[in-house]
Amino acid sequence: MRIATTRAPRLRLGRALLNQGAKSEEPDMASATTTTTMMRSAMPAGRVHQKAGLLEDERWFAAALLLPTAVLLGLFIAYPFFQGIWLALTDTRVGVPGNFVGLKNFEKVWNDSIFRTAVWNTCWYTFITTIVKLVLGLWLAQLLNRHFKGKAWVRAFILLPFIIPTVLSTFAWKWMFDPTFSVLNWLFWQMGFITKRINWLGEPDLAFFSIIVVNIWRGVPFYAISLLAGLQTISPELQEAAAIDGANAWQRFLHITWPLLLPVTMVVTLFSVIQTFADFQLVYVLTGGGPANATHLFATYAYQIGVGTGLLSEGAAISLAIFPVLFIVVLLQLLYIRRVETR
Amino acid sequence: MIEGARWRRSVYFHLPLVMFVVLLLFPFYWMVITTFRPDGELYRPWNAKNYNPFWTWHPTLEHIRLLVEDTLFSTWLWNTMLISLASTAISLVCGVFAGYALSRLKFRFAGSLGTGIFVTYLVPQTLLFIPLADVIRNFQLGDTPWSLILTYPTFLIPFSTWLMMGYFKAIPKELEECARIDGASRWQAMIYIILPVAVPGILSAGIFAFTLSWNEFIYALVFLSSSAQKTIPVGVVSELVRGDVFYWGSLMAGALLGSIPVAVVYSFFVEHYVAGLTGSVKG
Amino acid sequence: MARVSRRSLLKVTGTTAAAATTGGLAGILASGRAPAYAQTSTVHWLKWNDFVPAADEHLRKKAIPEAEKALGIKITLETINANDLQARTTAAIQSKSGADLIMAFNSNCQLYAESLADVTALCEAVGPSQGGYYDTMKGNCHDGKNWISVPYCVIPGLIAYRKSWFNAVGATTFPATWEEYRAVGMKLKAAGHPLGQTLGHTFGDAPGFAYPFMWSFGGKEVEADGKTVAINSKETIESVKFMAGFWKDAHDEGGLAWDDSSNNRAFLSGTIAATLNGASIYIESVRRAAQYMTEDGKEMRTDIAHAPMPRGPGGASAFHGSQSTMVMGYSKNQKAAVDFLRWFHTPANFEPWFTSQKGFASGPTKVWETNKMWDEDPVMKPFRTAASVGRVPGYAGRPNQKAAEALTKYIVVDMYAKAVQGMAAEASVSWAEGELKKIYSV
Repeated sequence: MRIATTRAPRLRLGRALLNQGAKSEEPDMASATTTTTMMRSAMPAGRVHQKAGLLEDERWFAAALLLPTAVLLGLFIAYPFFQGIWLALTDTRVGVPGNFVGLKNFEKVWNDSIFRTAVWNTCWYTFITTIVKLVLGLWLAQLLNRHFKGKAWVRAFILLPFIIPTVLSTFAWKWMFDPTFSVLNWLFWQMGFITKRINWLGEPDLAFFSIIVVNIWRGVPFYAISLLAGLQTISPELQEAAAIDGANAWQRFLHITWPLLLPVTMVVTLFSVIQTFADFQLVYVLTGGGPANATHLFATYAYQIGVGTGLLSEGAAISLAIFPVLFIVVLLQLLYIRRVETR
Repeated sequence: MIEGARWRRSVYFHLPLVMFVVLLLFPFYWMVITTFRPDGELYRPWNAKNYNPFWTWHPTLEHIRLLVEDTLFSTWLWNTMLISLASTAISLVCGVFAGYALSRLKFRFAGSLGTGIFVTYLVPQTLLFIPLADVIRNFQLGDTPWSLILTYPTFLIPFSTWLMMGYFKAIPKELEECARIDGASRWQAMIYIILPVAVPGILSAGIFAFTLSWNEFIYALVFLSSSAQKTIPVGVVSELVRGDVFYWGSLMAGALLGSIPVAVVYSFFVEHYVAGLTGSVKG
Repeated sequence: MARVSRRSLLKVTGTTAAAATTGGLAGILASGRAPAYAQTSTVHWLKWNDFVPAADEHLRKKAIPEAEKALGIKITLETINANDLQARTTAAIQSKSGADLIMAFNSNCQLYAESLADVTALCEAVGPSQGGYYDTMKGNCHDGKNWISVPYCVIPGLIAYRKSWFNAVGATTFPATWEEYRAVGMKLKAAGHPLGQTLGHTFGDAPGFAYPFMWSFGGKEVEADGKTVAINSKETIESVKFMAGFWKDAHDEGGLAWDDSSNNRAFLSGTIAATLNGASIYIESVRRAAQYMTEDGKEMRTDIAHAPMPRGPGGASAFHGSQSTMVMGYSKNQKAAVDFLRWFHTPANFEPWFTSQKGFASGPTKVWETNKMWDEDPVMKPFRTAASVGRVPGYAGRPNQKAAEALTKYIVVDMYAKAVQGMAAEASVSWAEGELKKIYSV
């Protein structure tokens, strides 16, 4: 078949992916043939095609496919999105329609010391958790990539922190960090590490550390499972060949695994960064931004101002201030991914 | 030599793996214990004498009973399931179609449309829920599952579109061309040729979307009002945090009962999930 | 093969989107529920889920069915976690749809003043006929001209303390001044039973302690004009300095992380000797008497007593929690809603609810001080008149929207929290001044 012979290298990659899903080891030709046969048997016999229709026009077909998305996003996101921007440019309070004030809210927010704390917190929070989640996730993925008894179960249950409703798991952590009843304190005390309790959520730095721990706990499984997916695309033969050439485990990781894993890593990191940046529930439940605003993030501070205090315009301005920062981070990652892709 | 290899395997493999499992699952163990611990044992300070927080000799089903009998937990579970499934299904259909169009069809603005869809994913929910409440009122969807089924896709579609784009790009173009030479229409080529190949990708987008809907809190809090309509996260928090008192046992029971079923279902899918995400390698 | 025409394709892709929107209406039709706006006589009442479950039980099982019968309306009661009330209120006001009656804590109703129905007629009928509303209630629910929210109840805060431990360090009567309290607290902490208080971001106990502490030293947020920020005074600085030392000397230092429920747990587990709180600690210890024991095996409820906050150089003070019911301005059922509140606040109908609270909530008016419920339990007796002393945030001005803003931003609480964490008193006060000026200047 034409496709198999002319574009073999490209197809091989496709096949690797196909196999990943279908777990089949058919040769290229066979797989292509199978799909065509599959199509034939799936389609009712008789008239085969009708090429004159409007949908055979690539643009119209694309428009039709994009229609549901456009309708849903148009109905439910477009208005709130522009309303949000409008809010930020007015002096709206809850229940009081506001007047246009230009960038005054942003100016006010810029001069707000708590806002600055929240910006720093959010950036550090995202930075630290992303790095740690990546490292631990990669490590765990490497471990899960080997064969051992009960692999399927371990893989499934390791996902639990990611599955459980965040609000509820955060309540569990709150209970574990409780200054009076902390099981962690009990544990460290029994092991002889501490004589005085650790005031997990009570001291600013420690509270910040605590929310980071919870975020990492929740995020590592997602990284691990996703990176595991990436690892499985890497042919073991490459590793073996390098081992024969005398490369040690670390060198093999650095020169073979890591470069090949980079694309998937970027994708996972991208999702994670966006989610972490806008993290809300965790801090809302665990500390409410306290003690003394030490753990406020963008989202929680915006919520406190917009909802708690009723200053919707200012809350919107804080929410939007996140946008350029996030946008730059995401743009850089997107550009990088494109580059990897075209390479 | 073999002894040495075994020793090394333990240090570099078993030890870290066990550590990961223990650290990741410890909070769950703690939830399980809290669920079965009688209230009398619950409130013991961390340095109390003869206190062993890791075990209880008087397990009780009281917390689970309270959760199941005195709250509408089973209704919430059902609601959450229904809402998550429906919004996931909608998002997948939209995401697959849009992802297909943006990655495999040539038309003007494809690039900028893709970015446009992605940008909506960046907007924080804490900002959106207030104007969104307006929209919900206009469509008269308040306090119906539809208010969530239709709003969850707003953050699920961008994600699934994007994931599917990556996946579709990895499928050779020739597959459809071949089908079209055989006489299939564009629609048929997409449905019968490309989608079956993309099943793992769809599945992984589905699992991720389902998890996000399952977890959602703010929209569910704001758009639903009758107790019988609520989802697990909102229902449990609404009923079991009473002013100065948290019903810890039942809260934890709610968290567990609300996530174990999903974990079990995922255990069947996890291999596909792993495989599916691979598609985004090229994304 | 079926011919895939444009029309059929549009039908397929179209239905997915259309199913979504029309399904919404179909869903409503199928479930047989008319949209809320069509049922003019249904009143939707949104409130917190009461700390006293029996009180909500009473509303659901008795009060509401009776009111429905008496008034010929339908009432739907929805209870949620108190922390989430504000999100619901904000969304409801902005979209002009939602519950007809929403509970507001403390002075929160001032934030929503423009969106609330005027309830002056109702309040002026209920208040004077029942001995008058407490100042706390009037401060929170009145905007200077009109009543904007209907007082529901006061939840007074008193110090719950362990009699035996106080006796053991020689305090046979409860300390009357902060100095004495600090001295006793030092001994208690040395004995392993510190005082416990929160300075975290939690809506009830943290401002409930920080505000009156400031007032009792003579500090105040603003001048009586309600505009000029006056927090940076000798008195406030003095109070902040005192707090920093007091905290270290006598308090459980975990308190910075506590939420409203933490001091309850700490007290009931025998970790702290005293805490300022609503009556919830004692009520819980009675409710499950066998569960909470003292270290020598007696039921803890027998060892609990209540006392008002000590006096400072500026006198005695208190900031009691309170709740009111807002009649929402967008509501199409305002008449029915007001009728229900009028019904609920008539003495005969209010009394069973009041009794079910067992003293956790006092009535909004003074007549309830004489209710025989207070004779049931001598330990609860101090709560009977507790509500009569008390100020509201915004002092010495009126509790307006600005004061509510300062309260929800936890500025006074954080002023103390910062000092406790080691910031110089002057610096933390001038930080608070800066923040307050930003709020009051706009």
